[in-house]
Amino acid sequence: MVDLQEGVLAIEWINGKSVRFLLGGGAEGEEEVDEVHGDVVESEETDEAEEDPLKGYNITQDDIMQLIGTEIAKMHEADIIHGDLTTSNMMLRPPSAPDKSSELVLIDFGLAYTSTLVEDKAVDLYVLERAFASTHPASEPLFASVLKAYERQAGKDWKAISRRLDDVRLRGRKRSMVG
Amino acid sequence: MESFHYSQFSQEYSNVHIALFTNVTNATELRNRLVQASTMSGPEGDAERQAVDFAFIDATLICSTLHLKSAILNSVLAQAQGALRTKTVHSEILWNLNPTNNISEAIRRYGVSSSTTSLLVVRIGRPGDPATVQMQMSAVVSGDLSPTSRLAGITDWARVKKYYKILQQIDADPQKDIQRVHEIVVSSVSMKSVIV
Repeated sequence: MVDLQEGVLAIEWINGKSVRFLLGGGAEGEEEVDEVHGDVVESEETDEAEEDPLKGYNITQDDIMQLIGTEIAKMHEADIIHGDLTTSNMMLRPPSAPDKSSELVLIDFGLAYTSTLVEDKAVDLYVLERAFASTHPASEPLFASVLKAYERQAGKDWKAISRRLDDVRLRGRKRSMVG
Repeated sequence: MESFHYSQFSQEYSNVHIALFTNVTNATELRNRLVQASTMSGPEGDAERQAVDFAFIDATLICSTLHLKSAILNSVLAQAQGALRTKTVHSEILWNLNPTNNISEAIRRYGVSSSTTSLLVVRIGRPGDPATVQMQMSAVVSGDLSPTSRLAGITDWARVKKYYKILQQIDADPQKDIQRVHEIVVSSVSMKSVIV
């Protein structure tokens, strides 16, 4: 609901936590929940680690990466550029029933706009890539899954976006201009 | 019947009563009565208009109570800000349910017609005893008063999709498809004031 006169916006309440929180501490001691049997596979380092924030979501970190890639691809397919992609702007809704899966919800479209340009989509992905590397340095290798899932969802659009993304990477800050 | 009120609006139009009637038998007469009431003059006319002072909505086009309440909230807001696009807050609900700006089309599509068998009846107004409102509704509609939870089984999704121009199947799974359509419809109704 939008009340222009009073400047009031009514938006949907999203149950769940942000992906930033769920990927939190990062590196060691992560517990992975086996999706089929629901057993918790504990690694040796978990004794000191806090309770896994992913408990109850029935999902692995890699699954989350794939959801991220898929949802961003769907958004880009509609020519919507988020403009501020970070894991703090993504939420994971817990499954509504034991046989259902978690849902990824993109939030905070304050900097969003529409564009058909490959450049804008590539930059959108690049912003996420850099944000990811800085907030979850230990999970950086997982980011490849994001792009893989994006590729799967984007289909024929991927080639152009992928090429542009490579160019954008070369342009970024702190990049060597030796060539 | 569901009754609630919006505390942020003035007492005059903050109370809402919603009732679902199934197996409606007097749809045609009801429609004629509404048309006549709008043209009648004098105290007789006023009394008639009072008796049918409700929004009569074809229940098969309503996806959920959330859908209906979104349209109701926007209507109450419009009335509170003196920005009604139609004559009354009740007709405004019908207008808000329709994706276009055409008032006659909205009434024709979402209002009561001779083929209507399930009706959602809404009264927006001053605080009133729900039992009295229910009696007034039953005096006008010949049908079975049913719990609003029954709405889920009544929705004609094919027609909903047609009016909202959702031409293709969004999801292979019919359950998920209906969920997506519901999300689209509720969002569209909520944002009608900013979707041109």
